[in-house]
Amino acid sequence: MTAVAPEPVNFLDPAVLARIGSLELLARVVVEGFINGLHRSPHLGSSTDFAEHRAYMPGDDIRRIDWRLWARSDRFYVKEFEAETNTNFLAVLDVSRSMRYRGSGSDATAVSKLEYGSFLAAALSYFSSKQRDRVGLATFDGELVEYVPPSAKHLERVLQGLQRACQTPAAAGRQPSAVSPQPSDSPPPSAVRRLPAATLLPPLKKLSESTRRRCIIALISDLYEEPDAVMDALAHLHGRGNDIVVFHLLDRTELEFPFTDASNFIDLESGDRMPVIPDYLRRQYRELVAQHTAALARRTREARVDYALFDTSKPLDTALFAYLSSRQRLSRVR
Amino acid sequence: MRFLTPAFLAGLAALAIPVLIHLINRERRVVVQFPSLMFLQKIPYKSVRRQKLRHLLLLALRCLALVLLVGAFARPFLERRALGGAALLGARERVILLDRSYSMGYGDHWKRAQDAAKAAVRDLAQADRAMLVLFANDASANTTPTANHAAVERAVDAATVSAEGTRYAPALKLAAQIFAGSNLPRREVVLISDFQNVGWNHRDDVRLPPGTVMTTVDVAGGPGREMAVAQVTTDRDREARGDGRDRVTVAARLTNTGAQPRTVDVTLELGGRVAESKRVTAPASGAVQVRFAPTVVPATATRGTVRIPTDALAANDAFHFTMASDDAVSVLVIEPARARANQSLFLARALAIGDRPTFRVDVRPVGAVTTAALAGRSLVVLNEVAPPAGALGQRLRDLVAAGAGLLIAPGDLRAETWPAEWRALLPVRLGAVVDRTGTAGGTLASVNYGHPVFELFAAPHSGDFSTAHLFRYRALTVPLDSGVIARFDDGAPALVERAAGQGKIVLWASTLDAYWTDLPLQPVFLPLVHELAKYAGRYSDARAWFTAGDVLDLSRHGELTSAFRAALARDTTSGAAPLVLESPSGTRTRLDPAGPQHLAELREQGFYELRGPATPVGSGRPIAVNVDLAESDLSRFDPRALVAAVTAPPGPGAAAASDAAVLPEEIERRQTTWWYLLLAALILMAAETVLSNRLSRSSS
Repeated sequence: MTAVAPEPVNFLDPAVLARIGSLELLARVVVEGFINGLHRSPHLGSSTDFAEHRAYMPGDDIRRIDWRLWARSDRFYVKEFEAETNTNFLAVLDVSRSMRYRGSGSDATAVSKLEYGSFLAAALSYFSSKQRDRVGLATFDGELVEYVPPSAKHLERVLQGLQRACQTPAAAGRQPSAVSPQPSDSPPPSAVRRLPAATLLPPLKKLSESTRRRCIIALISDLYEEPDAVMDALAHLHGRGNDIVVFHLLDRTELEFPFTDASNFIDLESGDRMPVIPDYLRRQYRELVAQHTAALARRTREARVDYALFDTSKPLDTALFAYLSSRQRLSRVR
Repeated sequence: MRFLTPAFLAGLAALAIPVLIHLINRERRVVVQFPSLMFLQKIPYKSVRRQKLRHLLLLALRCLALVLLVGAFARPFLERRALGGAALLGARERVILLDRSYSMGYGDHWKRAQDAAKAAVRDLAQADRAMLVLFANDASANTTPTANHAAVERAVDAATVSAEGTRYAPALKLAAQIFAGSNLPRREVVLISDFQNVGWNHRDDVRLPPGTVMTTVDVAGGPGREMAVAQVTTDRDREARGDGRDRVTVAARLTNTGAQPRTVDVTLELGGRVAESKRVTAPASGAVQVRFAPTVVPATATRGTVRIPTDALAANDAFHFTMASDDAVSVLVIEPARARANQSLFLARALAIGDRPTFRVDVRPVGAVTTAALAGRSLVVLNEVAPPAGALGQRLRDLVAAGAGLLIAPGDLRAETWPAEWRALLPVRLGAVVDRTGTAGGTLASVNYGHPVFELFAAPHSGDFSTAHLFRYRALTVPLDSGVIARFDDGAPALVERAAGQGKIVLWASTLDAYWTDLPLQPVFLPLVHELAKYAGRYSDARAWFTAGDVLDLSRHGELTSAFRAALARDTTSGAAPLVLESPSGTRTRLDPAGPQHLAELREQGFYELRGPATPVGSGRPIAVNVDLAESDLSRFDPRALVAAVTAPPGPGAAAASDAAVLPEEIERRQTTWWYLLLAALILMAAETVLSNRLSRSSS
């Protein structure tokens, strides 16, 4: 197989693309650049395209025995066709309330993290579909919301699922739970309706039980959990032999904390309130965010999981480079 | 504090802006929906509070800088009264009037007064001058106006309570004199006293210069409560028991100003020993009389004291007096060997009447007079006899020179036959006899009522000399060194005197009987003879005590010096004052009853002792001095009334040192307070800039 060399392409800023139209078109436009000059997929499958011979093993279908090669070699070999080696691509999208954040005030952007993630998932799905990979979608918000199993015919369903995720109001069905304990050195939150924060473990665990075949799993989330919890959740998927690419989406305001006014900050996930004077906390907040992302990068690297941190204010092309790098590694293994 | 441009103070309203912004921001706190508080909740809350505190400091710096800036533009200045120490408008002349009357010895009044005086000195700035004036009955400057404040404080420490009473007028007048001679623009008086009523007479005309600031320090705080020996009387009973010895009964009156009755032991001391003690109870706010048993008058002048236990004001708990021996005036009347019938009768009979003083009259013919007869005589009367010659004459002259008196009624004698020594001593040159029998006679028309002889007759209806007729009298030529005490209606001298040593020679132009005049038949004759004898014999009513502050005039108190006449007569050659007056504290003063040093101030309470040239210590004539009992009245008046009475507001022509005379602009220009405020504001702004930059860097 020949490695795919990434080529510099120009992609439209998603903010501009948002003015165009449907997600499918967007995904198609975004990905077309990659398709040009793309080599044949290294995947094998059950198509009519002969790929290679392998030795007959008891249990193989005898119709696949290459009799001409037996006549020449007096040995039994079966034919491998391309369709048998297509991989599954599963976009796992976090659709929790925190993903619907699109910045604040003058720093607000046209796309929320969910929309950005949807674009990314759509583009990756479309690209994989063009590679004749089977594509699927799983959305979660503390638990699985929607699951489209990987299939060569499921691109439309994937895109529709992404559409629904963006349009559906956040967490309408979840009930408030008991107040979770606050850190001892933090001011007590005000008494407001508090909802349980979404966690990765339940949906990813369930997902790992649902997928029978190895997949390339693109986890798209803002990962507001401790690195240990994230790795615990990923371990279930990774242990099944899936290749995981983690796309860590954060808004620019989440990264830089440019707020200036003393404000009441409300946690979109739990509903907790906290009065904040940004000037007092900015430095330490940035330090904590940097420590968190660094820890995630290190832990995922150690687990042979690709990790990429994305600022949703930047174009989508970098996301695709990460995906292609992953694909390149996968092809070397074979 | 005042402001030259107070309109700028409206800028202080700007201080409310950051506070309002802060409050508004608190009320309109923005709500930010944030994906997760996971990282924010990890930040320790303590660090939030610390940063908050730093920002409060920043706010405070900005507000303070704004206040100082506004203040600088408002151009503040301080008025003179708000300033202490060295004045904006010049140094101060401060006179400290310290009351040292004996009532200040009550309780801790004196200590408090000294502390207040020293505080008044310490309050001064370096350029100010201070002066201490101690006053009681009168005032004396203890120091000169000086900028050496330590010296004034030392003078305060050295001052002591006196035995005198209180009078404010002399002290205030002295302060006014000091200010009149001062070239400093500001004048202040600090009056430290217990403000007794007795010290201030509203008729006292005292005014301090306009613009003088008077401060009063009342050390009393309230009326005193104590007992005092207010009065002592000694009633003499002559020969009451027929043993030829006089007895005196001592009575004392005690006062109690307390709110409760008090029982005390009252003691009578005579000659330094306790003679009798009695226990009495004085009613609250009342008095009680104590009468002691009669006691024999000692032969010599004796000290006496009535004493009660010491209380808050010790000065009036003892009353001193002296009991003198027989104080009769010894008179020797020398008449001719062949005197007319009753020639000396009128004189002797007149002098024999009365006991204050008693006159012991001895009438002798000139031939019977010896030098021994002259001994101890206070007065010798030459009733129409020539002065003796020889040793007797010399003895008589010595007696007169020692202080005795000589009354001469020349009659029709011719002085040319008299010894020359006598002619030189005579106060007149005798002329012819003036006969006015053809008329109704002459009268005593011109009388010197200011003279001690005629003082008694000065008041109206005290004696009419016009009723006496003088038919004959000698014409007298009076030299310049003699004094005419009375004249006849024709202007001729009638009574003339002249000093002779310590004594006096008095000459009466007519006779002492009814031979040439009917004066002896007039009612005025007796008192005239008494006064004449007392004056010529240098007798004064013996005072049992004096009051502290009195001036003792030995020339008028012959009873005090009578014991020393013989010694004084002998000691006429030395130039030094022959007598010594020793105070209770041991201070000695030399006195000469006949010379210029015949006055002494009795300032101390207790017994003075007057001693002759050879008198041993302790054997002299005691002189009792008591405090002024009026000072025992501790009732007080409002010091503000005194301040209002003696101070006046600055008039239109007041000195330039007054604030009213200097424009506010000038005061502000001299103070330049705005410069310091502006500088402080700039420093604060620089500090605020540095601090805010640091905070911004740490936040980013």
